[in-house]
Amino acid sequence: MKILTTVKKVVDVELNIHVENGAILDKGLQYVINAWDENAVEAAVQLKESHKADTTLVSLGSGDNTDIIRKCYAMGIDNAIHIDDPALAKADSPTFARVLQKVYEAGDYDLVITGKQAQDTDAGQAGIMLAEFLNIACVSNVIKIEVTDDSHIQVSRLGDAGTEILDVTLPAVITVSDGINEPRLPAMRGIMMAKKKKINVMDLAGLGTSFEDVGGTAPTSEIKEFMPTEKRKGGQKFEGEPAEVTAKVVDLLVNEAKVL
Amino acid sequence: MSPLFMTLLLVVGLGIFARTMYQRILLLMALEPTDRFNRIKDRFKNVITIALGQKRLVGRKKERAAGIMHALIFWGFCVLLIRSITLYGEGYVHGFQLPLLGDSSILGYLYITLKDIMEGVVLIMVIWAFYRRMVVKPPRLHNTWEAYLVLGMIGVLMISDLLYDGARFNLIASYGNPGDLHYFNNPTFGQEFLWTPVTILAGKEISGFSATGMERVMGLMFWIHIITQLTFLNILPLGKHFHVITSLPNVFLKSLDYPHDKIKLLDLEDESVWEDETLGVNHLHQLNWKQGLDLYTCTECGRCKEVCPTYTTDKPLNLHDFNDTLKAELYANADNLILQAKLAKTLTGDPEKDAKTKEKIAVFKPEKALVGEVIALDTLWACTTCRACEQVCPVTIEHVPRIIAMRQGQTLMQGEYPQELNTAFKGLERNGNPWGIGYDKRADWAEGLDVKLMADHPDAEYLLWVGCAGSFDDRTQKVSKALVKILKAANVDFAILGTEEKCTGDFARRTGNEMMYQMMATENIEVLNGYNVKKIIAACPHCLNTLKHDYPQMGGHYEVVHHSAFINQLIADGKIRVKKSLAGMLTYHDPCYLGRYNEIYDAPRNVLNTLSSQGVNELPRHGTESFCCGAGGGRMWMEETIGSRINVERSKEIVAENAETVAVGCPFCLTMIEDGMKELNKDEDIKTRDIAELVAEHLV
Repeated sequence: MKILTTVKKVVDVELNIHVENGAILDKGLQYVINAWDENAVEAAVQLKESHKADTTLVSLGSGDNTDIIRKCYAMGIDNAIHIDDPALAKADSPTFARVLQKVYEAGDYDLVITGKQAQDTDAGQAGIMLAEFLNIACVSNVIKIEVTDDSHIQVSRLGDAGTEILDVTLPAVITVSDGINEPRLPAMRGIMMAKKKKINVMDLAGLGTSFEDVGGTAPTSEIKEFMPTEKRKGGQKFEGEPAEVTAKVVDLLVNEAKVL
Repeated sequence: MSPLFMTLLLVVGLGIFARTMYQRILLLMALEPTDRFNRIKDRFKNVITIALGQKRLVGRKKERAAGIMHALIFWGFCVLLIRSITLYGEGYVHGFQLPLLGDSSILGYLYITLKDIMEGVVLIMVIWAFYRRMVVKPPRLHNTWEAYLVLGMIGVLMISDLLYDGARFNLIASYGNPGDLHYFNNPTFGQEFLWTPVTILAGKEISGFSATGMERVMGLMFWIHIITQLTFLNILPLGKHFHVITSLPNVFLKSLDYPHDKIKLLDLEDESVWEDETLGVNHLHQLNWKQGLDLYTCTECGRCKEVCPTYTTDKPLNLHDFNDTLKAELYANADNLILQAKLAKTLTGDPEKDAKTKEKIAVFKPEKALVGEVIALDTLWACTTCRACEQVCPVTIEHVPRIIAMRQGQTLMQGEYPQELNTAFKGLERNGNPWGIGYDKRADWAEGLDVKLMADHPDAEYLLWVGCAGSFDDRTQKVSKALVKILKAANVDFAILGTEEKCTGDFARRTGNEMMYQMMATENIEVLNGYNVKKIIAACPHCLNTLKHDYPQMGGHYEVVHHSAFINQLIADGKIRVKKSLAGMLTYHDPCYLGRYNEIYDAPRNVLNTLSSQGVNELPRHGTESFCCGAGGGRMWMEETIGSRINVERSKEIVAENAETVAVGCPFCLTMIEDGMKELNKDEDIKTRDIAELVAEHLV
């Protein structure tokens, strides 16, 4: 089984993010692997360990992703491709999905595993769109993957009303939720040994396409402006006799907040 | 007596002994190198105080009686060693005497008196030792047949020598010396037996024999003594009594680094160490020869386990078993290890040529994995690195560096470590603190306190090293604030690094994650040296220890002082004044990394004594023998699922002392003891406070 898994490098949202004039200030930002993608990598590596799958990682972006790719190598990924093209800095979800489609078509994959969404934009589109463009099955929000045979898997997906169990015919795209596994922290030795592994870096031309071809020049959405989230205001405190206070609060809820 | 028989005994006895020792030494030489031949003067000093002076045996109040017993047997042995030479000489030359110790000098007379009394004393001590083992049965002792055999042999040695002399005395005094036996008879000092009261007593016990019988007894006792002694010598290297031979060299060769052998600064950039898996100790041959000698020397006295916070709370780490198991494994693989070392010497550094040699070396690998099969994982990870064991070990065995080296092997090479550490490691990697809180929030605690940042005030005299707990932990932030209040009251010119400070890497290093440690250390040292920092006030003993003892290895040299010592100085210099109004019983819990690791015992007590008119009421386990809170060695970030909880044990001890306030000087101890009190429902009655908080409240 050949598995393709995707990673995105995102801003560490644990840190305070400062916005000025509608743009994010780069100062003090740290970049990490998108947490859900880490789950995807872990899922791929686990399939490799249990079913001798061959795993390939693809990262898209503009700039150096060596650090996160090495980490994935250390986790146990076999091959890595980095599509590094400055044009991708302005790409939207469909464009990314088109690039992934090109990567998929260049290889002969049975299964694509992606994180269910990226921590920075929370769009959750690329994986699903990829399946659509490829016209293959897609299951999102997956919390368990089991291999049935060479061309079938069974997955559990976290639905609104409970867990859905689905038989999936390969090839397919699976987007995973964090409930699927606890990504391993690679051994230091793995990280050091990963330094020697080759990362296949190419731009869009190297992939045999162009920014225009993947729809980049006609984006379906674009980012206009960033705004800081408003800080939560302190609540109101009421003191006095219970009956009085209750009447006052009910009055405010009805007439001011208009929620009752 | 009989030169032929004596020669035969000596050749056989010493021959076998030499062969065993040669094997033992060869095995040590097959282990990793370490330099232990520097500062010879200091080494002799250690031998005089710790080994010859038996400092850790007679020096501990708690174990004084047993300590004196051992010391007397040991000193008796030292005295009797000279006597043995005379006896071997007697085998060849009738009336053999050593120069200076013969009958022509008072020294000779003094020596025979000393020898006579010591034989009596050792015999009494042996009887006492038997009684202790059989009746008293102290829990730390591990009763084995070997212990009884050796005690029995010592008894036989004393009795045979006393009876030999006693029979000689009887023959000379009562039977007119038929065989013309030699004895001291100097006109000035008189006859030999006037100087040997114990011999006369022994003689009386066998006075019933006839002259011939007496001669036979004398001969028999002589040969029994010689044969027992040579047998004894050959039994020593086989078991725990090897310490009789190895403890003096072991003390001489002990690490002179403070407080123990420094954790090796590993070269992580060297690719071959990752390929060959040579970092840390994952295989027997990766122990250094001194660690091997430590194992030879372990006497299984059990003092280490008695003071160990993990053993006493039913965790699987039992240090004397740990040593014993490693020693057995070392012996079982001795031949292979020696061959392996021989082959390793032929490595050329040329990967092609070496490939075959490495294959051959691999054949000699022990069958069992050192960690996982020989030593269980839970055992390795239980240690809090508190050093209580090393502080009490009479033969200066260093347990902690060996445990850390083994953890390095696990963390760096195998990726096998308690998984709870993952979160802390990740936090360190991303945000420079084990909690993983955004690094940009590091100085939030100081908001509104008008604390200067190094970036704005690079000429500050002192850098206040806040530490991760002081920066991010709600409870410890109060300590940081209290400390700032004190420093401001004393007009100390200080600044903090703010978001430029990162974890010192203490817990990473002690859990074997040398890579993460070096990452932290490199970045911190770069910042510190960038500001040309000279003096640091550390609010955490773990930070203090790392900054002071670990960073010099990587080019960070600073004068580091713990806040309790700094406050003590401020009070002494009159820079701050405090009210002596702390009410209620006050006690103090010594943090391991402040006390045993940095010998700061008095400063915190001095400070506390200025606050309370009753002064510090000491806990049963305090000072050098303080009991760990359970958080050291990275244990703060691991689950404690086996046995009872260390912090609760310690808290019980504090509760039993009826303390109302327990002062600490470490953020980990603060958390652990406070949690312990909560567990015991005593947090309302007993307040756990950092020294800085208590001082800040009592500032005038």
